Amino acid sequence: MAFKQEVNMTNKFRCPQQEHQISRRRWLGTTVGTTVASWGLGGLIQPSVAESLRRDHKQVLFIWIDGGMSQLESWDPKPNTEFGGPFRSIPTSLPGVYISELLPQTAQIMHKLAVVRSLCTQDNSHSAGVGRIQRGDPKDRGVTYPYFGSAVANLLGPGESALPAYVWVKPGSGGFKHQDAGFLGPQYGALAFGDGQAPSNLSRPEAFDALDDQARNRLREAANRRYAQNRRRKVTDANTYVFDTAQTLMERSDLFDQSTFTRQELQRYGEHDLGRHMLVGRRMLEAGVRFVKVNSYGWDTHGDNFNGHASLMPRFDQAFSAIVRDLSERGMLENVLVIAMSEFGRTPRINGHIGRDHWPEAWSLAMAGCGLQSGVVAGATNPLGTWVKSEEYDIGHMFHTWFHALGIDARHREYVINGQPLPIAHEDCHAIKELLI
Amino acid sequence: MSEDHQRLLAKYEPKEIAVITAQPQVASAHFSPCGRYLCAGGYDRRVRRWDMTTDRPRELASLGGHDGWVEAIAFHGETLYSADTWGKLAAWKYTAAAPSPVWTVAQAHEGWIRQLAVSSDGQYLASCGRDQKIQIFRADNGEPVRQWFVGQDLFCVLFHPHTGQLVSGDLHGQVNIWELGSEDPVRTVDASVLFLQHRLQDVGGVRALAFDQAGKILTIGGTKPKNGGTVQGTPTLLVVDFESGELRNTLEIGGPADCFVHMVRHHDAGFLMAVTSGTPGNGRIVFQRPADAEPFYLNKNIPNCHSLSLHPDGNQIAVAATNRGSNGNGRPLNANGDYIGNYSPIHLLAFSDVAQSEQASRPTVSKSSTS
Repeated sequence: MAFKQEVNMTNKFRCPQQEHQISRRRWLGTTVGTTVASWGLGGLIQPSVAESLRRDHKQVLFIWIDGGMSQLESWDPKPNTEFGGPFRSIPTSLPGVYISELLPQTAQIMHKLAVVRSLCTQDNSHSAGVGRIQRGDPKDRGVTYPYFGSAVANLLGPGESALPAYVWVKPGSGGFKHQDAGFLGPQYGALAFGDGQAPSNLSRPEAFDALDDQARNRLREAANRRYAQNRRRKVTDANTYVFDTAQTLMERSDLFDQSTFTRQELQRYGEHDLGRHMLVGRRMLEAGVRFVKVNSYGWDTHGDNFNGHASLMPRFDQAFSAIVRDLSERGMLENVLVIAMSEFGRTPRINGHIGRDHWPEAWSLAMAGCGLQSGVVAGATNPLGTWVKSEEYDIGHMFHTWFHALGIDARHREYVINGQPLPIAHEDCHAIKELLI
Repeated sequence: MSEDHQRLLAKYEPKEIAVITAQPQVASAHFSPCGRYLCAGGYDRRVRRWDMTTDRPRELASLGGHDGWVEAIAFHGETLYSADTWGKLAAWKYTAAAPSPVWTVAQAHEGWIRQLAVSSDGQYLASCGRDQKIQIFRADNGEPVRQWFVGQDLFCVLFHPHTGQLVSGDLHGQVNIWELGSEDPVRTVDASVLFLQHRLQDVGGVRALAFDQAGKILTIGGTKPKNGGTVQGTPTLLVVDFESGELRNTLEIGGPADCFVHMVRHHDAGFLMAVTSGTPGNGRIVFQRPADAEPFYLNKNIPNCHSLSLHPDGNQIAVAATNRGSNGNGRPLNANGDYIGNYSPIHLLAFSDVAQSEQASRPTVSKSSTS
């Protein structure tokens, strides 16, 4: 493992102590405010760019339902069976296809969706499952693969918007999630916007005027160049990227202004975290961000699963159906790949807390848009919903499918990390043809 | 333990005399008013019945025709009312050998019917549901009398034993008292400590209601939720003076893993009987007087308790639970490689003096199992 060996070697690029002292003093003296503000947004899009984006710019909206949405209370209901739970299934806009009654609005746009009901993945724990799923569960080569968002950011680049390629709209706090990038390096990490808000201290302090700011930036750039001279390119690129991105973000503080969402939009998406965050996500897509992750926490319903899903699912239904409708109506769905999924599904059996536990054996996800057939349901489970009865699809199959949908040939394209070629998706898996255009 | 508690325990400590095994799980099990039957609504669309007059509980033909789960059951005289999670309501002569519905209302609610209650004179049947409505039917023929929209997911309804007023409890912890002729509550009791908005989830709510025999005390059961998802919370009883709405006492009857009070009953001897379930393997049976700080009886050996029914003779209870080892992220398989579901042990427990005489007179009644 050449890469691993190199990582373990003595680091000849490490900072000399004196440089730290110099840098720190200069840093504190010259870039207070600007440094912190560097995590803002940027890049006003010209109409012509926007048109180009619509035409060519493939994007991803990755809706992460953290904890495990129950497939039986969503995409693959088994009403009136032993493990089917209390809910009914309802017909959808796709003849013959039924989903849970908890998804009434999504049922009306089923003809726009592509659902997989035959996921069979490998991990039933959150701690390992979340990363394993989002990294595509590749073969173990002793390296840390990137999350899907980082992979897309790397393989497709940020596009012309100058906005960060991979953003994450999430409840709670924000920050830079460099861990997502794995071996690609921190430049491809996720920039997380906690509660959909702009990074703190994004705006230039009023005490500094534009000229002061320019002077400080020139000084910073000089410092960066010096800093970069004897360091790994991967690290210095990330550093430069952060400041460039920050500059762009500072110019796009409008993206975070949730007060400009209309009453009607909020009602359609829902006046809850997921609804607001999905609206922020839509804005990011409209502004040209390559990969937008929107996530919801609190789906690990080991207890009171049915009352839990009775309040969780309608909120998901509202926000999910609204974004798919909007992307479709705005002509964006053709180029935006929408994926809604968790790290696993939930057990058929119902435990003593009237809950469902973790179940990677037979579960579902839903998608729409870019490169995918619309109105298709791939795979099937048995009548009790306990096992997959058609071909089982692992997350590697989904990575192949998603890359294909985005125009990336996962069979031939590779990452090359320190000279080591690495497949971008599990080489034993393949794209699911029936899902693809 | 105080002498007082020792005296109560000596008389009312429940001892297990039999266990009925119901597979798949049941939501609740109830003695009939005549005491001869035990009826349980289940996760398999039916109401199961057992004849309790024989040495071993003997399963009878079940009541079919429902969909989804049958969570709501109520009795009056020889009539059993059952409701399911798909909105259907039915009335049965439960004593018949092969009962067919006396009447049904196919779509009494839009979806999940949470609970039923019969007025003390047997004239009216009330239902509440996830559709946020309360419905009143004539109990003899199912004819709708009136309905109104409350505006919250409703978990409980209960008639006052003497005044004919109806009490409802909802997901957000509001308890409303209604006159049947009005769509505005007569008054409201705040039980919002039993509710939490956590992330996207509405957690908790009023899960149980009970009056004492005189109708002076209303006890409200639920959990003080800590979080959603894998819900944890302190099982809690709010003891309220019904007339004034004043909170007399708050009884926290377990730890966060014990979670929900699913059912509470007032025993005529002046104590509350409650069951809880929470994190699988936890849960308890608690007997406690409303003014006491501690229970005089606490059973932690029967986990995952979902319902409690007091036999009309006042000497026996039935507790429906979920089996031990009910949870886990793996794939539980039996010897044939089939996926294993869970089941419900229905524990029959007799109070101390009765249990002793039962053991003397009916030595064959021990752990029995029907499925």
